Amino acid sequence: MHKYLKRFVHKSPWLYRINAGSCNGCDVELATTALIPRYDVERLGCKYCGSPRHADIVLISGPLTTRVKERVLRVYEEIPRPKITVAVGICPISGGVFRDSYSIEGPMDRYIPIDVNVPGCPPRPQAIMEGILKACEIWKKRIVEVA
Amino acid sequence: MVNDYIHAGIAMLIFPGGLFALATGLLFKGMDRIAVARLQRRVGPPMLQPVFDIIKLSTKEILVPESANETVFKLAPMMGLMGSLVCAALVPIAGVWNGIPGAGDIFVLLYLFSLPALSFILGGSSSSSPFGAIGFSREMVIMFAYEIPLLATLLAVAVRADWQLSLDGIIAYQTANGPFLLDPIMIPAFLAYLMFIPGTMGIGLFDIPEAEEEVIEGPVLEYSGPLLALFNLMSAVKLMVVLNLGVALFFPLLLPGGIWVNLPFHLVKCLALMLVAVSLFRASTGRLRIDQAFNFFLKYPSSLAYVSLLGAYLLR
Repeated sequence: MHKYLKRFVHKSPWLYRINAGSCNGCDVELATTALIPRYDVERLGCKYCGSPRHADIVLISGPLTTRVKERVLRVYEEIPRPKITVAVGICPISGGVFRDSYSIEGPMDRYIPIDVNVPGCPPRPQAIMEGILKACEIWKKRIVEVA
Repeated sequence: MVNDYIHAGIAMLIFPGGLFALATGLLFKGMDRIAVARLQRRVGPPMLQPVFDIIKLSTKEILVPESANETVFKLAPMMGLMGSLVCAALVPIAGVWNGIPGAGDIFVLLYLFSLPALSFILGGSSSSSPFGAIGFSREMVIMFAYEIPLLATLLAVAVRADWQLSLDGIIAYQTANGPFLLDPIMIPAFLAYLMFIPGTMGIGLFDIPEAEEEVIEGPVLEYSGPLLALFNLMSAVKLMVVLNLGVALFFPLLLPGGIWVNLPFHLVKCLALMLVAVSLFRASTGRLRIDQAFNFFLKYPSSLAYVSLLGAYLLR
């Protein structure tokens, strides 16, 4: 059954944003990627959802600060499988400009498995969209594994 | 007797309820999303996007919150879908389907109409989430508000159609005496119905129970996977019911020719109604507060519907 379904599944990625202590630069970039007509990602079936229970692709921005770590991990647990994680910006990868700070717990992939990295400070909208498309490719493989 | 049951079963499972309502509802939802995207100068999703969403959701995991009432939590979306499917089977399509004999009463419809809203209320309250609680209390308030103009509109139509309470009779009256949309007395009732559609679908001004930015989708916040897909299917069928009912009440005009002419014609009428009352409305309005929406429904659509009711009663 899942073999046939997986052909359509990647056409409906619902996006969920987690801000893990980001400076808001990447979040503004995420908002402009999907919410303005110019880079209309609804073409790809994407939709921002408010609840982690509805999410398929998780977009994480920020260096994972000490304060927010427990909450981020908890929200991540609330997302139903199969889930794909996209790290947006340089912060989840290395900490970016906040590297070596006393209040940073990152890099992110110590705690959460990251599937796609979109580096940049902030990344361009086109790069974020490419990241989402790559995440869809990974999703196609994962749907079979979960089944 | 047995024949009647088979008849009713086919109506609920295949046509015009069941499969037909699901397919057209999902297609109409897709067209609505494209229409809204075009109004915002975007390309928009493919027309089958709601179908892809349902397929996607069916492959996801079901998560039930620890403190939720699991039985009610899982039964609520099924109840809502069932209610809207029965509704779809009761509304006749002019020239195509005359409804289940002896069952197409407007009061039965009014009762069944509250089942989808009730399933939101049950789902939201059993999910044990504070956002679900806020969402379901809002749903309750707005349901009380929009049922008054709906009742007045239905009564106005029934009185105007010579005290016919069955939808079948209302359609027969209009085929004989001309559709109510061209009747000056019934125009206020039609406007009231146009305002009721976004209210019951929860869009535009009345996207209050499921406001994403305020209560994070409210009652459906905790639903995931197949259960959320049931809610999506329910809202697709409900859209079809509301449109079918609007066409049956105000514009059941027939073209010469059989079913194969009148069924596409009916769908075109539904599409026109949807583009005005759903897509244009959704793309051009923001959100009201719940008290503003309550006042709005009690003031404007209600008084419009009462004007029609009074006119129809006095000019019998």
